[in-house]
Amino acid sequence: MNGTRLVTCVALSVGFVLTQGMGYGQSTALTPFDKLPDWSGLWMMMGGTVFDTATQTGKGGVLTHGLREHPPYAELYEKKYEEHLARRDVDRFPDVITNCGVPVGYPRIMNLPDGYEFLVRPDEFYIITENGPNTMRVYTDGRPLPKKEDTWGTYTGVSVGHWEGDTLVWETIGLKGDRDNDSILDRTGLVLSDAAHITTRMRKINDNTLQAVLTIEDSKALTKPWVVTKQFRKQKPGLFMYDYGCAENNRNPVNTATGETLILGADGKPVK
Amino acid sequence: MKPVCVVLFAILAAVPVLAHHAGAGFSQETKVITGTVKQFQFLNPHSWIQVNVTDDAGKVVEWSLEWGSPNELGRQGIRPSTFPAGARVTFKIRPVKSGAPVAAFQAAKFEDGHIIGKWEGDADGQ
Repeated sequence: MNGTRLVTCVALSVGFVLTQGMGYGQSTALTPFDKLPDWSGLWMMMGGTVFDTATQTGKGGVLTHGLREHPPYAELYEKKYEEHLARRDVDRFPDVITNCGVPVGYPRIMNLPDGYEFLVRPDEFYIITENGPNTMRVYTDGRPLPKKEDTWGTYTGVSVGHWEGDTLVWETIGLKGDRDNDSILDRTGLVLSDAAHITTRMRKINDNTLQAVLTIEDSKALTKPWVVTKQFRKQKPGLFMYDYGCAENNRNPVNTATGETLILGADGKPVK
Repeated sequence: MKPVCVVLFAILAAVPVLAHHAGAGFSQETKVITGTVKQFQFLNPHSWIQVNVTDDAGKVVEWSLEWGSPNELGRQGIRPSTFPAGARVTFKIRPVKSGAPVAAFQAAKFEDGHIIGKWEGDADGQ
């Protein structure tokens, strides 16, 4: 092998080795820690645990049919929603998390009571909630979203994002939606389909308020994008977060045959 | 006579009692009951206060009062010792519609005058 070919061979070999060493999780585009915003602390969601802008503007009636801003549902999903509301009104539309078995999923993880932590790393962002508990991961290491055929529909889906200055922007796909009738957006019965694609923009709007603006698109369930906003208020420093054993003392099991949410009395038997 | 010390923990009224499940079974009307605490279940997903109440016929009925998660209640100063067994307490509650001795906790007034939650107006939601 002459000198030129040897140099070329070595260069190609070194390049090959270096690229093999990279793969997922390594990107030159990572935002360093000292350039990331400070979202530390314990946060609580503002407004009710119902997913629409009416709760943010204080228009009220969040549990009352007819006073909320409906999503721009397509006909089939509008019918589903009306049916859910009717069953809710007679306590036959149980909240899927009441039997303590499944994650709340996305976007409902943005809609919970109790404490939140938002953990920011250059390669990944985590939402951790006490309630549930629930966890959501957003990969910010430069990887692309998987292809639709490489997802199989989970409660929280798959999320990939990037930083635009102080704003985290991420996309979520691969949600199961209402496929198995065990994932809702809130207890009035808002649901999405497994075609949902959500773009979220999250940033601090002041020292004590984080705001997430979600643009929800769903080719099966919605006729146009639905934009919703959730805000989180920072709590005073020094507070602790705790675990949450949903099944620790669950006195509200669901009668899965009827859909009724029971209340267990002092003797452990249902009362109504 | 010792001065009565009344301490309001108004913020506790904002704790979402019904977060774990829908609350359609509870009445919107309030009621006041007085009884003796039997047990305070400071557990997830909901705390429960078990209270023995003597009805007009002299029969003791155990009421179950549902409250919030200990996670947020704990951060607001509630402890397992907040409702000690044997304490005589008056409760403002939202009973279940069926008439069973089960209700959503709204507020409590202890014999020494201190209050937990938001106690406004008179009994029966006025």
